[in-house]
Amino acid sequence: MEKIDYEKIGFKCGLEVHAQLETHKLFCKCPSLVNDPNKTDIFIQRRLRAPAGETGHIDIAALHELKKGKSFIYEAKPTSSCLVELDESPPESLNHAALETALQIALMLNCQVVDEVIFMRKTVIDGSNTSGFQRTALIGLNGYIKTSKGRIAIATVCLEEESAKKIKEDSKTTTYSLDRLGVPLIEIATDASIKDNEHAKEVASFIGMVIRSTGRSKRGLGTIRQDVNISIKGSSRVEIKGFQDLRSIPEAIDNEVKRLIKLKDHKPEVRKVNLDFTTTFLRPMPGSARLYPETDIKEIQITKELLAKISLPELIDEKALRLEKEYSLNPYLARELVKSNINLSQYKIKFSNLEPSLIASILTEMPKEIKSRFNLDYSFKEKDFYFVLEAINQNKVPKDSALEILVEIAKGKEPNLDRYKKADDEELEKYIKELVKKNKELSTNALMGEIMKEYKGKVDGKKVMQILKRLR
Amino acid sequence: MPKDAKGGDFVEITKLDGAIRGTLMPSHSKDTIVVKLSSGYNLAIRKGKIKKITLLKKLSKQKKERIGIKHKKGLKTVTILHTGGTIASEVDYETGAVTPQFSPEEITSMFPELENLVNVKSRLISNMFSEDMNFSHYNNIAQEIEREVKGKVDGIIISHGTDTLHYTSAALAFILEDLDIPVILVGAQRSSDRASTDAKINLICAAKFIAKTDFSEVAICMHENMEDETCLILPACKTRKLHSSRRDAFKPINTKPWARVYFNEDKIDVVDNRFRKKENRKLKLNLFNEKLKIGLLKSHPNMIADEIKRYERFDGLVLEGYGIAGNFPINETDEFTKENTKIYNELKKLANKIPVIASSQTIFGKINMNVYSTGRKLQEIGIIGGLSDMTAETAFIKLAWLLSNHPKQVKELFMHNLRGELSLRLSDTAFI
Repeated sequence: MEKIDYEKIGFKCGLEVHAQLETHKLFCKCPSLVNDPNKTDIFIQRRLRAPAGETGHIDIAALHELKKGKSFIYEAKPTSSCLVELDESPPESLNHAALETALQIALMLNCQVVDEVIFMRKTVIDGSNTSGFQRTALIGLNGYIKTSKGRIAIATVCLEEESAKKIKEDSKTTTYSLDRLGVPLIEIATDASIKDNEHAKEVASFIGMVIRSTGRSKRGLGTIRQDVNISIKGSSRVEIKGFQDLRSIPEAIDNEVKRLIKLKDHKPEVRKVNLDFTTTFLRPMPGSARLYPETDIKEIQITKELLAKISLPELIDEKALRLEKEYSLNPYLARELVKSNINLSQYKIKFSNLEPSLIASILTEMPKEIKSRFNLDYSFKEKDFYFVLEAINQNKVPKDSALEILVEIAKGKEPNLDRYKKADDEELEKYIKELVKKNKELSTNALMGEIMKEYKGKVDGKKVMQILKRLR
Repeated sequence: MPKDAKGGDFVEITKLDGAIRGTLMPSHSKDTIVVKLSSGYNLAIRKGKIKKITLLKKLSKQKKERIGIKHKKGLKTVTILHTGGTIASEVDYETGAVTPQFSPEEITSMFPELENLVNVKSRLISNMFSEDMNFSHYNNIAQEIEREVKGKVDGIIISHGTDTLHYTSAALAFILEDLDIPVILVGAQRSSDRASTDAKINLICAAKFIAKTDFSEVAICMHENMEDETCLILPACKTRKLHSSRRDAFKPINTKPWARVYFNEDKIDVVDNRFRKKENRKLKLNLFNEKLKIGLLKSHPNMIADEIKRYERFDGLVLEGYGIAGNFPINETDEFTKENTKIYNELKKLANKIPVIASSQTIFGKINMNVYSTGRKLQEIGIIGGLSDMTAETAFIKLAWLLSNHPKQVKELFMHNLRGELSLRLSDTAFI
């Protein structure tokens, strides 16, 4: 199919990015176990009342179902839900760590921060909130970010409650799990000036990076989600929800724009991304005016003193660039170090004989390799790394043995360093000499393989190659 | 601020760092101006930062269309008397205002389920928090009920704040002698502006119970548990709020509920049929003496005699004592308990002057002043309690009502079951 000329079709696009924070729930002390592994002990059947005066403002389909008597079943675990999630107790005091992170993000996105945090109730009647509304507060507005295609305005940064997760649905009931209900969620909305599909990905990726730079966001699939709002000349706005992987954004936008070009007359609607990056109808678009003040939560003053306490973290991108230069690392390793929040300078001081890139790859790459190659799910402690790095630093073992020593540790064994002791140079040379003599027909690479098998981890591959080349 | 700009008007606020447009909202602080932005969020702006406010558009109020409702033949007529706990509210997303709705049209349009159950009449008789109510409000509600009875309604639903709902229910049960229609109090633990309100279920279950039975007592209708499927019809004098926030905060004390009403089914379980049914009784009001001074005093460690002495000018006192005998600290057992003798003397003096009633902090169970020497001593000085299983709240209301209507027979009538406030037998199931 031909390439879309985004400018010509009057493409308008804005993003909403949602990120869960790694702290207890927003209005109670329940832990934020998004998927609580404990036993479900609470099953509650509820009904929501269709709010008065509501017509076009809220989910028309949900309203219709409520009127037909649809009910909701809430499943909860006592370990992750209390009376607040069950809507049996009013919200308790606001999680201040979450507020501080929201302020950090608002400031990093160059927003004006509000003078006062006023929580609002956003009416939601599809059952995903036991209360019938989502608590949400404006934290920052009128910010911007710089991108490769110019500035993009950040319309709002909000702090809100994560909704309950839908588990199953039939014509009479919808079942939700309350585990993640109330987990602090940051919502960032851009204006509609994103230029094209690739630009959307860039903006989403940058905002995601800003969020992660705080070190306070949850990690893993689904913890940061993107909704994309698009329209083209002559079309209404369409919201595509549910991007979990940034890489799918350009293709999904492309497909949706093609659909819009074909389609002339349609109503605003919400669609979700399918696995093949096409979209399907989810529900009609909710209006913005379904908020009213949450009277159970006192307004919070954002004082100069509070703002002075908010420190702005270095952006992951900047930090990675700094590490790249400072330690001549490749960009990938530098990013991995930042993502894992590893302070390389501390290691560099301690293990001064080692190359920074070696330290970085032992700390970031080896655990991943051990997990995928050896299927060992072990979370390495700092002392494990210290043990290995120290041995290499002291020249007790060759650097090639790091992986094997770590594998031993991951298997719960006490590694015997003698096993990896560097082979005696003379002895090694003697062995290689004999081997070369006996196997004249073999290629250098084949010989290399033989030697490495024999001296597993005890020799430095580079050195062996040097000897081999010298002897042949 | 332009003088004529009011809440609901659309304004532009010029600040040092730019302008913001929005709808003016009431502010909770004198230091800020609050506007609702087009996104729906309220934004508070410190007055010090504001250079100018320009009025862009006055609020234009749309008049609500009033649709008369037609009463259906064959359905019972129920009057909803609103006392303050709001059953129905409308949210205005433009201004953020939550407006309670009281007219029959509004109630019926918000709860269309009512239409096929009962014909609704509706009236606002007061608009207050239940914690602010006193004896005069009980009298007022009772007189409004009498007015409705004379107007031949088939039942009454009273919307009421939950904090003192169980005091009011007991008070009405005592006032309304020979009541021949159902009077059901309903409240809400979740406000009625929200989709998750319990008000709707409580109201509809109360209406259904009135529509489908010939029950003729004062009762409370609230959620049975945390689910929205059933409500209980609870006895007026034997119910108490036992939780500050849960939907099922109201529990029967020392008895079973009268009935269970299913919200989504045409089904009612009669759990305990010891209630009065319609039989052409003629209502008579025995009102409270609004000037009475009745006290309610809880025993606690380290009590001092002055706490009791304070009641010497009162007309009656309910003691909420410890355990089975409603015990108070009256025994001097060592050098540290000398105050207890003074407490004993003050209680003795008081009980000589005014009726002093024993009840228990345990909430559940009967008083038995014989099983324990402290209880016997309290009995000896004239404290009334006998084998009462009334909650302290019901004892308080009954004492006040007896002093209002039968001042000479307080002691004799207190242990006489008048409105189902006393249980003869306690069954094993009558506990949480």
